[in-house]
Amino acid sequence: MTFVRDDLRGPQRRVVVLLVVALAVVALLLGRLWVLQVMQGSHWRTLAENNRLRRIPLEAPRGTVRDVRDEIVLDNRPAFQLLLFPEEMADAARTEAFLVRIGIADAPQVRARIDKARRTSHLPSVIADNLTWAQVAAVAAHRAEFRELEAHPATRRSLPVGTILAHLVGQLSEVTPEQLAADPSLRPGQLVGRSGLERAYQQTLGGKPGNLVVVVDALGRQVSTLDDEPPVPGHPLRTTLDLRLQREAALAMAGQVGAVVALDPRDGAVRVLLSQPAFDPDLFAGHLEPAKWRELVEDPLKPLHNRALQALYPPGSTIKPLYVAGALRDGVRTPASGAFCTGGVNIYNHPYRCWMRGGHGHVDLREAIECSCDTFFYYLARDAGVDRLASWSRTFGLGRPTGIELGGENPGLVPDDAWSRQARGQPWYGGETISVGIGQGPILVTPIQLAVAYAALVNGGYLVKPHLVAEGEFPRTPLGLPADVLATTRGGMESVVAGDRGTARRLANLPVRIAGKTGTSQVIRKVEGVTWRELPWEQRHHAWFVGYAPADAPQLVVAVLVEHGGDAASVASPICGRILARAFGPDVDQATLAAEIGAQTISLPGSPVTSAVVGAPPAPPPAPAEPERAPTAPQQPQPPAVTPPGGNRAAP
Amino acid sequence: MRRLDPWLLLATLVIGVCAYLAQTSTAEALASPGYANRQLVWLTLGGALVLLLAFADYRVLARFSPLFYVASLAVLVFLLVASPLRAGTHSWFVIGKFTLQPSEFARIATILAVAALAGEHRKETLSRGLVLRLVAIIALPVILVVLQPDLGVALTYAPILLAALWVGGLPWKVWVGLVAGALVVTGAAWLWLLKPYQKERILTFVDAERAPYGAGYQQRQSKIAVGSGEVTGKGLRSGTQSQLRFLPAQHTDFIFAVWAEETGFVGASILVLAYGLLIARIFLIALHARDRTGALVAGCIGVVLASQVIVNVAMVTGMAPTTGITLPLMSYGGSSILATAIALGLVQSVWRLRFANV
Repeated sequence: MTFVRDDLRGPQRRVVVLLVVALAVVALLLGRLWVLQVMQGSHWRTLAENNRLRRIPLEAPRGTVRDVRDEIVLDNRPAFQLLLFPEEMADAARTEAFLVRIGIADAPQVRARIDKARRTSHLPSVIADNLTWAQVAAVAAHRAEFRELEAHPATRRSLPVGTILAHLVGQLSEVTPEQLAADPSLRPGQLVGRSGLERAYQQTLGGKPGNLVVVVDALGRQVSTLDDEPPVPGHPLRTTLDLRLQREAALAMAGQVGAVVALDPRDGAVRVLLSQPAFDPDLFAGHLEPAKWRELVEDPLKPLHNRALQALYPPGSTIKPLYVAGALRDGVRTPASGAFCTGGVNIYNHPYRCWMRGGHGHVDLREAIECSCDTFFYYLARDAGVDRLASWSRTFGLGRPTGIELGGENPGLVPDDAWSRQARGQPWYGGETISVGIGQGPILVTPIQLAVAYAALVNGGYLVKPHLVAEGEFPRTPLGLPADVLATTRGGMESVVAGDRGTARRLANLPVRIAGKTGTSQVIRKVEGVTWRELPWEQRHHAWFVGYAPADAPQLVVAVLVEHGGDAASVASPICGRILARAFGPDVDQATLAAEIGAQTISLPGSPVTSAVVGAPPAPPPAPAEPERAPTAPQQPQPPAVTPPGGNRAAP
Repeated sequence: MRRLDPWLLLATLVIGVCAYLAQTSTAEALASPGYANRQLVWLTLGGALVLLLAFADYRVLARFSPLFYVASLAVLVFLLVASPLRAGTHSWFVIGKFTLQPSEFARIATILAVAALAGEHRKETLSRGLVLRLVAIIALPVILVVLQPDLGVALTYAPILLAALWVGGLPWKVWVGLVAGALVVTGAAWLWLLKPYQKERILTFVDAERAPYGAGYQQRQSKIAVGSGEVTGKGLRSGTQSQLRFLPAQHTDFIFAVWAEETGFVGASILVLAYGLLIARIFLIALHARDRTGALVAGCIGVVLASQVIVNVAMVTGMAPTTGITLPLMSYGGSSILATAIALGLVQSVWRLRFANV
């Protein structure tokens, strides 16, 4: 700048201003870069990683379950799940509309699931499963538009044998927040056992979920796999179940409401556990819709209820062999004891009727069991008193859970004076003792309790713990019952089938020697001159039969309860007979077996309620003719003319 | 050669190298190697143009500027009338495999014309008549470019007027009037002129969370790219934001984000400093110009380049709304590079002739 023209001074001054301003702005840009890259760098790095990495949870296939013969009870089948990555969702309303359009569910449903997925976690949630191929294709086609959705191959629980095992295997449900908090290995949206075997053996069957970390591009396409942590499948489970018998039980119980429990009296291994009506287990294989759930819960027949473990019924006459064993042990009766039945007795100034109106005449102890003479047991109850009756019941495990792994058992009720004072606030009323003496009144049992009690009667006097999985030692609690006591009692139960007056003598001609005891527990007071077939379904008596075979070396005890079955001899005992014949008899086809035992196994009237019963046949012909061999149906004792205070009618 | 400004050449060279390296990365991300190769061809041609123009006499070119100006107006009119739509605009000439964007070259012609006209004036402040003629000179091509429509390029004409008026000189009262007028025009433009998507861009910039996946998506991804580069960057061709295509328009508007992501603060600040050096040298050359025309040529070019660099980097780092203004020399595009090279050549010519007495 040796020579500066005057007219250039002004522009030069102003160019210096430009220079200073430009340099200042460049410095500002450098400062901005410092803030973004150096000070906030790790924050943006995390966002960049979130952009490109996608963590896909891999569900562990649950373990398979097999029966005692290695037949598959519970398996998995492939199915597609729909995952939602809540963080990547741009517009929930748009996503919702899309999901509704491809038929995932209706709008409020979809919205509820999306909201839940957003609330639960930042991890992806399963918002639908069992996708159809069309839905999988729709999600794949709109991948760029809905980056938050991913159709993901997974497995789904399958139960090849269907509804007949629904209660036993139980249900899966989404893990609850409490479970999540308790067990860090669980993941939101994961399915865990909620009931039945699935819950009892969750640790074994559950496996360990895995992770797949993939790199995705801006269109949501998977570019590469970064980290692969495969899921560990659940362990297989071998159960003691016998599907062959379970199927036979389901066929024999077709159209009935009730339960069947069969177990090996020697160790308590459960072979059959059936509750009817059942539900479609596939509803619970994935994520249950609330509407379906409500439908099941509101069904008056309560299909979700596992009647074998949870439903309470008065045991009726099936309790009699237990009392006989107790009475013999405690010397209240001897094998030579007897009674004279005139069709009823007067105790405490109240008349009590035997089911046989004309009376049984003289019965000894064995005959009292054989023909289920109520008079004999009225006297026994009077002589023993309620506390002793209760102690005999408890000896055989009544009044407390049997301890089967499935859990959720109902402990039942063994009434005595202490219970009365505590629960009803008044002392025990003596007249009730007489009712409890024939298994009526407040006493309540579950089908599995009776099966376990009978197992103790026939296995040499040991209380076993029923179980579905043979693991380690089986606790057998000796009950201190002398062998001759047990032999006498078993002799009585053999007469029930083999004796001339046996209430279940229709089972005498089966290929295997059966023994057992019938029981008919009443729901309403008996009306004179009305047979059970004339009563509406819900007023009919519950029909029990607990049988075992072979009679001389029992390997299987079967407890059958038919709710409102009406009559034990013609309804419950044939069902038990079919199962025992299937287990020990020659391998005959179902129809022959059914015909041999008697045609009356299906008796549910076509009332509106029954249409919901799984497998209910069309309304059966009303009042079929009694087969020739049918004995006089055992009838319920007439209850006391005056209902005792507090009422002792068992209402299941 | 010894009479050229070495600092300006150095800055140009550094930016050119950065541009090539950044384009090799986007070429890989977009699976199109042509981007890097062609960018290299343009940069080489641009280097040749710089030298060619440096040894020309800017005063002679300024004297012929009306010719260039009228010719470029004719080309712009021809474009509007005759060229087919391409990417929604009439901005490009297609010659075989190449496309030419005449509005980039028209800008240089406009700068020359403005400098030639204002350079004649020797007074301390510009006269009213002269100001009106300057406005007219700049308004004509702007109108033609807006009609194409290419708002981004049209916006780069505005600094020419500001630079000419600033360097040429105006009374301070006029500046107050201009600022007030600009505010009124801005308000009017907001109410009647801007399209909804353009308004959305500005609103999104003001409130970034307004639509994180809509209009704000580009800027958010750009900030993530720049920030995640941290100090040393993810390595060339290893930027996840660019390679997985989260970054929009990465070879053009957002090329700086690619560079910042892959080379980190180190690389990004070297590039920004190179631009700073480039701009500083251009203004120093304007300071040393032997006449008003030279000062105006360098001053206008300095302001145009500086405003492009600042607006683009501010946009990429989330300090300004997305505008579609590219980064000179870095962004892909032959016309832009060649036009910038011509401009830098003119500046070198002003420097070379700073002592000339002829």
